[in-house]
Amino acid sequence: MTTTTISGIREPRDGVSLVLQGARDMTPMVIGIIPFGLAVGATIASSSVEVGVGLASAPIILAGAAQLTTVEMLDAGANPIVIIASALLINLRILLYSTSLAPWFAGAPLRQRLLLAIPVIDQTHLVAMPRFERGDLDLGGRIAYYSGGGGWLIAAWLGSQSFALLVGAGLPPAARLDMAAPLVLVGLIAKSVATRPAVVTAAVAAIVAGVGAGLPFNAATLVAIVVAIAAGVMTERRSAPEAELVERTS
Amino acid sequence: MTAWLVIAAVGLGTYAFRATMFVVLGDRRLPSWTDRPLAYVGPAALGALLGGMMLSIDGPRSTARAVELAAVAAAFVMVRRTGDVVRGVVAGFAVLWTLTWLVL
Repeated sequence: MTTTTISGIREPRDGVSLVLQGARDMTPMVIGIIPFGLAVGATIASSSVEVGVGLASAPIILAGAAQLTTVEMLDAGANPIVIIASALLINLRILLYSTSLAPWFAGAPLRQRLLLAIPVIDQTHLVAMPRFERGDLDLGGRIAYYSGGGGWLIAAWLGSQSFALLVGAGLPPAARLDMAAPLVLVGLIAKSVATRPAVVTAAVAAIVAGVGAGLPFNAATLVAIVVAIAAGVMTERRSAPEAELVERTS
Repeated sequence: MTAWLVIAAVGLGTYAFRATMFVVLGDRRLPSWTDRPLAYVGPAALGALLGGMMLSIDGPRSTARAVELAAVAAAFVMVRRTGDVVRGVVAGFAVLWTLTWLVL
């Protein structure tokens, strides 16, 4: 998507303002993940997983859904290999995000790129890509913008989760914070899933994961993702190929 | 001990997903046959997570499930209309709390 700059409106381009701009653009996502973080923290607090392990799992994994799955499967006493495979398959989408973000940071030194990899997740990808594609930021500007947004997101994530873990069962169940995660997820889906094959993919994944909830080894998520990707690719093949090609390269 | 090892493995693997492309790819692209499956990883993961959660949340009471689904539907419609995830979450909780108060 290309947006021509409207003359007269000039956004500041220096480092500090871009860090702040990144943080400001990330704020809606931050407001969305705080109840999610509280819910994950509360889930860990009420599980059989040790508090120390639970606290450490947030910064080590830095991905809510995979962390929640890992903790719940540990709590249920699932096979360790199956837990690791399920969580990593859930996080495989991060490889896609880093693949599309990588060219924008190609010129940065290796050590810096290793740091920039830390906040790669649904929200940072969703916020940063449209901003980068406007094309008005140089490498330093992109790093400042992305770091501001990513840092703010991580701070809020770790803060909300640690708070809930330490307060533990003190959070009122009537608030239904457990519903924060599905509400944020459905919001991300509504915002990012646009083409017909993508809609089919998300729908097939949700149905298979729901129907397969009783599968042995908690394999439903894993199976659902694989089946849904196949369904998406097949739907794309059956619809007009030229149109899809334009959609993907634009 | 097992819990630490599992979390460490998930953390390391996840970081590898994040960093590999930043390190090796640079401006280069992956082989084109990976484009199609990769394009659907995001929607598939998000959909699978949502589907799994909506079945695992709460138990047998079908009215409670209907209220949750109404909240999720309200959030979806709100985000489609406004493009704002926060408004979706707010709308979802508004519907959830209101219906819970009214019917449960």
